[in-house]
Amino acid sequence: MNQPRTILHVDMDAFFAAVEQRDHPELRGKPVLIGHDGPRGVVATASYEARKFGCHSAQPIVIAKRRCPEAIIVPPNGKAYRQASKQVFEIFERFTPLVQPLSIDEAFLDVTGSLRLHGSAETIAQEIRRLITDETQLTGSVGIAPNKFLAKIASDLDKPDGLTIIQPDQVEAFLHELPIGKIPGVGPATERKFHHLGITTIGQTRSLDLDVLQQQFGSSAQRYWELSRGIDERQVVSDGEAKSISHEQTFGVDVAEPDEIRRVMLGQTEQVAWRLRKYDLHARTLTLKIRYGDFETITRSTTLQSPSNHTDDLWTSAKGLFDTWIAKEGFKPVRLIGVTATQFDQTPQMGLFEDENRDKQSAVEQATDTIVEKFGKHAIRRAGAIPRDNEPRP
Amino acid sequence: MKVICDRSALADAVNIVGGVVATRSPSPVLLCVKLTAKDGRLILEGTDLEVGLRLGVDQVDVQEEGVALVPADKLSQIVRASDDSTLTLETEDHAMHIRGEDSHFKVFGFDPSEAPAVRDFEGLEVNTELECGVFKTLISRTLFAAAAEHSRYAINGVLFDRDGRKLRLIATDGRRLALAKGTCVSGEGTVRTIIPVKALTLINKIIDDPEATVKIAIDESQILFKVGDGPDSAVLSSNLVEGAFPPFEDVIPKDQDKRVSFEAGVLSSAIRRAALLTNEESKGVRLSFNEHKLTLTSRAPEMGEAEIQIDLKDYSGDPVEIGFNPGFITDALKVVGNNDVIIELKASNKPGVIKIGTDFTYVIMPVNLQ
Repeated sequence: MNQPRTILHVDMDAFFAAVEQRDHPELRGKPVLIGHDGPRGVVATASYEARKFGCHSAQPIVIAKRRCPEAIIVPPNGKAYRQASKQVFEIFERFTPLVQPLSIDEAFLDVTGSLRLHGSAETIAQEIRRLITDETQLTGSVGIAPNKFLAKIASDLDKPDGLTIIQPDQVEAFLHELPIGKIPGVGPATERKFHHLGITTIGQTRSLDLDVLQQQFGSSAQRYWELSRGIDERQVVSDGEAKSISHEQTFGVDVAEPDEIRRVMLGQTEQVAWRLRKYDLHARTLTLKIRYGDFETITRSTTLQSPSNHTDDLWTSAKGLFDTWIAKEGFKPVRLIGVTATQFDQTPQMGLFEDENRDKQSAVEQATDTIVEKFGKHAIRRAGAIPRDNEPRP
Repeated sequence: MKVICDRSALADAVNIVGGVVATRSPSPVLLCVKLTAKDGRLILEGTDLEVGLRLGVDQVDVQEEGVALVPADKLSQIVRASDDSTLTLETEDHAMHIRGEDSHFKVFGFDPSEAPAVRDFEGLEVNTELECGVFKTLISRTLFAAAAEHSRYAINGVLFDRDGRKLRLIATDGRRLALAKGTCVSGEGTVRTIIPVKALTLINKIIDDPEATVKIAIDESQILFKVGDGPDSAVLSSNLVEGAFPPFEDVIPKDQDKRVSFEAGVLSSAIRRAALLTNEESKGVRLSFNEHKLTLTSRAPEMGEAEIQIDLKDYSGDPVEIGFNPGFITDALKVVGNNDVIIELKASNKPGVIKIGTDFTYVIMPVNLQ
């Protein structure tokens, strides 16, 4: 058994909406929906004022508007959110290097090693919350628990602007009360299956043998068995130790133009390559994720000739996968496109005949990386990744 | 045609020719071996149109001369599966009957006149002649380092570089390079050409008598080898690899300032043990040299670590720490026999060199240890 850990889950409250309300006082106290207003638009974030009407993220804008006709719809301003996110993550890193971003506004922190320096977990959490409010005028909710699973559930219990602590000796009682649907990955169908077995809370699952769980739930059984006992050994992995780096984008409407998709992919590939270079990682595998309008999702992978973090190498692979997909399976309008780099080589092999072009390319990439770090990712990019004039810039 | 064959001699020959013919092809004759019974011997021929092989078998009794063209894989399976000491091959139209003591196979073949031509050595000018043993050593010391495929340079082959009677074979995959030297029996002028990996792999299999000689002829686009002289001689023809071999002489370091010798077996054992705790993510083994000892360490994330120490007798130079793909080192140590090897280094980001005298030079680029 590993030694007891102290994990924080920090989740910013209605992050995108809160940033907009901070920057635009006229939106304060009003129901705000962040998303593109259109037939296929989806709510990215709903302000707490809008949530009272039943609006929530991932809901089609059309439905959200029916629930709350007076809601103000604000198109996302990625730059502002990234800026705020960066500030928040900088605060996290003052307390521990073990920060695992889950998304732009949410992270796990392993503070086990920081307790002696910074005091109790509660002190750290309060200090993080105070610094977030002081430095960004936003609020976040924190869950503290012995593992990731419980910390994530805890942060959600007292939202917004809350703090929930689950002490190791409270885990059993806590799980006993926790509805089964709170387990990440348990949807309505699985929930019904549990109900059928007479199980309504996570704690009650303890009464079932692993065999029975396996019969019912197959490969997920082991995880349910462990979670019902409060066991979750997953480590907090910071970005530098990540197993994959990816960028993806959901389009407001299905995109029927292959060139448009290539343009977005090139931008994503640049981002992925930049993050690889930042952590000096070399990827061996590149994966393309394509989702069609009917939500069917496919992935296609390829192995690079040798591990790389050069934009050109990754782009050759990404473009190759995309073109092969079109040639083999035929183009269909695309709802989501994403580029993922995986299989990092931590001891990259040097080459005997590094050619001159490659050295020049590295020099160009170093220069552009410096510009990106200073002025943001849209300051300099490949011409092919620049949106056409008649489109809004991302 | 009707021939009584020694089964094991036939099995060896069919196995080698079977390695030449195409494994998949829309043209069935390319999957076949052609058998010709003539002048008291059996000649087997196969080709994939890149490489062609003509192999004589003299442990046969030709009762009726003739020709047959049959699928190589079926013939090979039948001959290998049999327990008989002899097998009788007999043709009936395009089919072949293969008879043993308690067995009879009939295999459908094709019209022998459709078989693609395989070149013979007759009438060609001998460019180079060398002992099979020497050639085999040179091949085994280089072939492993050749690239399977590579886009920029023509390195999916081995460079054959002869100046007078001095022959060098050089192979590289862009990350390591092997160079082996030997002396020919005869050779005039200079030759520099790239031989495909497949051809050298086959030659290496065919050479079994180190005392025999191999004759080499080169014309515009092909190289031909004739191994042996008797009725069981073999002729292999191969297209040459087109394109430029990389500037290999530039990457062989000349200013290494750290040097140490090893018994090949000792170093090989240490590397193999250190490699046990490497994985795909972290392939490198770290070698830390100082005056007294070499410490090898490895670390596989989420698996564990290894440390192995070897005492050094004759290390000269400052201490140095360098990472290598362990496979690259053991590959070379496998082919150096019982010789002592010299390792020469410069710095952690510069190539390392493994040497046996001046006959074998092996350059390896390090991995970046973080």
